[in-house]
Amino acid sequence: MSKGVLVDLTKCVGCGSCTVACKLWNKREFDKDSPAVGLNPQLDDQNWTTVSFNEVQKDGQPVWRFVKQQCLHCEHPACASACFAKAFQKTPEGPVIYYPHLCVGCRYCMLACPFDIPKFEWDKSFPLVTKCQMCSTKVAEGQAPACVSVCPTDVMTFGERDELLALAKKTIDSDNRYVKHIYGENEAGGTNWIYISDIPFEELGFRTDVTTRPIPEYSHDFLKYTPAVAISWGALLTGLYAYTKRRNKIAKEENKDVPM
Amino acid sequence: MDKQKGLNKEMTRRGFLKLFGGLGLVGATATLSGCSKEPMGGEGWMPQQYQVAASNYPTQVRGRIPIDPMSPSIMRDDEKCILCGQCLEVCQNVQTVFGYYELPVVNDTICVNCGQCTLWCPTAAITEKDDTQRVLDAIEDPEKIVIVQTAPATRVGLGEEFGLPAGTWVEGQQVAALKQLGFDKVFDTNFTADLTIMEEGTELINRITGKSDAPLPQFTSCSPGWVKFCEYYYPDLLPNMSSAKSPQQMFGAVLKTYYAKKMNIDPEKIFSVSIMPCTAKKFECQRPEFNSAGKYWNKEEIRDVDAVLTVRELARMIKAKGIDLPNLPEEKYDPVLGEGSGAGLIFGNTGGVMEAAVRTAYFVLTEQDVPDLLFDLKPIRGLDGIKEAALDVPGVGTIKVAVVHGLSNARPILEAVRRGESPYHFIEFMCCPGGCIAGGGQPRTALPPSDEVRAARIATMYGKDASYNREHRLSHENSEVLTLYNDFLEHPISHLAHELLHTTYTDRGNKLKAKKLS
Repeated sequence: MSKGVLVDLTKCVGCGSCTVACKLWNKREFDKDSPAVGLNPQLDDQNWTTVSFNEVQKDGQPVWRFVKQQCLHCEHPACASACFAKAFQKTPEGPVIYYPHLCVGCRYCMLACPFDIPKFEWDKSFPLVTKCQMCSTKVAEGQAPACVSVCPTDVMTFGERDELLALAKKTIDSDNRYVKHIYGENEAGGTNWIYISDIPFEELGFRTDVTTRPIPEYSHDFLKYTPAVAISWGALLTGLYAYTKRRNKIAKEENKDVPM
Repeated sequence: MDKQKGLNKEMTRRGFLKLFGGLGLVGATATLSGCSKEPMGGEGWMPQQYQVAASNYPTQVRGRIPIDPMSPSIMRDDEKCILCGQCLEVCQNVQTVFGYYELPVVNDTICVNCGQCTLWCPTAAITEKDDTQRVLDAIEDPEKIVIVQTAPATRVGLGEEFGLPAGTWVEGQQVAALKQLGFDKVFDTNFTADLTIMEEGTELINRITGKSDAPLPQFTSCSPGWVKFCEYYYPDLLPNMSSAKSPQQMFGAVLKTYYAKKMNIDPEKIFSVSIMPCTAKKFECQRPEFNSAGKYWNKEEIRDVDAVLTVRELARMIKAKGIDLPNLPEEKYDPVLGEGSGAGLIFGNTGGVMEAAVRTAYFVLTEQDVPDLLFDLKPIRGLDGIKEAALDVPGVGTIKVAVVHGLSNARPILEAVRRGESPYHFIEFMCCPGGCIAGGGQPRTALPPSDEVRAARIATMYGKDASYNREHRLSHENSEVLTLYNDFLEHPISHLAHELLHTTYTDRGNKLKAKKLS
C-alpha cells in the first residue's frame, strides 16, 4: 500500500524544524541568501523543503499561517512519465525517487511538474536535478520521513494514504474551522502528500487550477503507440532497404550481361 | 611446473588495455541500464531520538521553538541547529510559554524574550541579537556621549567568561573595562534599583493602607520577561502589576532628563547603553512607550535606552579589544547616578527585590530602625521555586509576601490570585530561574544552567550585601537617590516621578488563545 503524509496547516508554528531535518538527513548546504524559512523562502537544489510565512485574513482579522512545501509525490508522477531515461521512478511505498546516475540532464521533468518542484543545480559543472525524495530509504524501513519525525506540534502524520485521507475527511468534517477541501486528494490525479487548512488554499500560495486528471494520461493517449510506431517504422525501413538492395543487385547482375 | 610458468605470463600493454576497457564497458552498460540504483539523499544524519524503527511513535524531545525573525532579543543560525529539542524543553517545561496556547497561532510568535533557550542550546545556534556593532559605532561617533549602566547581576557573571570561577565578583574590573572600551560615563543600575524600591515600595504602602484603589497583591515589574508573560497569559491581572518601570528604564529616563539637565548636556547627544544579564531587556527598551525623556523634552524620537548588551556581548567586546579583565585594576562608578546600596545589588537574586522592598517599606511604615531579621530574610532566599514569608509590621499588622522565579512556578500562584485565593500582599516574580543572576544574557557557564552556578552567583551577591555597613544596605539611605528627589523629582510618586518612572501595560491576550490549565 502507498504511504503518504497528511499536513494539517493549522498546527504549524513556523519553527522550521522540518527544513533543518531535511538538510541534516540529506546533507544539503545552507545558504543565507536562499533561506528555507521565512517571508520569501526559496525552494531550490539545496532547499528540498521550505516553510513560508503568510499573513492572511480570517474573519476580518489578520492571522499568520505557515506553509510547508516540498515534492507532493504524485500518484501518477508527470516527472516520471516525462523522463525517457527513467531517472524518476515511483516506488510502491509512495515516494517518487530521482536516480542521479540515470539522469541525462534534459530537464523535461521540470517542465512536466505541475507544482514546479524539480530544481536544477545551475551552478555546478555537472549539474543534476534535485527534489525531495520523501526520505525513501527511511520509508522503505518503515520510518517516517525526517521532516515528519521532528515536528514539535504534530503538523504532519505519516501513514497509509487511504487512512490519511479518511483521517483528513473526518477532521475537516468534525471541525467547522477547516476548508472543506483536501488538497492532494485529487490534484494531478492524487498525491501522496495531502493538506488540510482553515484558510482557502489559493490564499496560501497553492496552485488550485491543477487538473484532477493524472497528467501522464494526457500524453499516454498517443505516446502509447510509440513502440508500435517504432517497430513498424523499423520494419518498413528494413523492408525498403532489403528491397532496394535486392533491386540494385539484380540491376548490377543484369548490367554484367550487357556487352560493352 | 610448466603450467605455473604459463600462468606467470607477463601482462602486455595490449592485454591490460583490453581487460580494463572491457571492464569499463561492462560497468557503463550496467550503470546506464539501471542496475546500480542509488537514490539521491539520505547520506546525512539525524539525532538519535528521531531514529525510530517504526514510523509514528512520538519522540520525547523533539523539534525546536519558533523564533520571530524580527525579534529584538534572540536569533538563530539554522546551520548550527541540531534539533536536539533543548530550547523547546526549557520554553515549554521551565517557562511554560511554548505549548500553552491553542493552535493555530493568531498573529504573533509567542515569546517572552527571556533567552533561556540561548543558555540551553548546546551549539549556541540560538544567541542574543548582536548589538555590539551599534554600540561600537556610537562610541566612535565624536558627536555622541555614550553612557553605560550595568545591571546588578552582571558583576557576578562577567568574570566567568574570562576563566574565573562561577560567581566571582568583578565589579571594579567591569567598570575599568567599560572605561577602556571608550564609554564616556559608567553608571550603576543599582542606583535605579534603589529608586525602584522608593517608587514601588511607596506604591505598595499606598495599596496596603488603602490610599490607592489598585488591587492587592502587588506584583513586581522589574523582569520584562515576566511582564510580557503576564500580558500574554494573565492580562486580567495587569492591575496587580506595579506601575513602576524596571530599573533599566528608570535609569534611561533619569539619565536623559535629570542628568542631562544637571550636566547641561543635549539629551539627543546621549547614547544610552545598558549591560544586562537579560535578553528581554532588548525587547523592553524598544517598547514604544519607553521614551519618557522624549516626551519630557518634546522630542518623541529620543529613546530612554538606546542599546542593550548582554554580559556575553560585553565579554566579546572586551576580548576583541584584548583587554585582560581579571587583571585590571578596580575602578569606581562615576558619581551622580553611580551609587547603589546592598538592597539594590541583591535585585539580581531571586527574592532580592522583595528583601530590598521590605527593608525600606518597614522603615517608611513604622519610621523605626529596620530589624536585623530583614537584613537576612532567609525564608525568601535560596532556589526553591516558590518562597513565602510573613512579617509583623508594628502598626500595620502581618504582611504576607511570596517570591517566585521561573515562569512555571508563577502559574499556580497566578491561578490562585485569579481565583481570589491568594493570601499575599506582595509577590516578586522573576522570569528566569534563580533571578537575573541566571538570566538569558549571562555566560554559558553550565549547560544547561545548573543550580550550582546559580547558588555560587547568589552567594557572592548576598555576601557582598552583608559586607556593607548598615546604611549602605538600605535603598532609602542612597544619598544620590535622595539628591535626585531633592533636586528634581520631589518625592516618590510625585507628578514628575509618575511621568518618568511609571508605566502602563499592554494586554496581549488577543495574541493567543491560552490553553485551559487542568
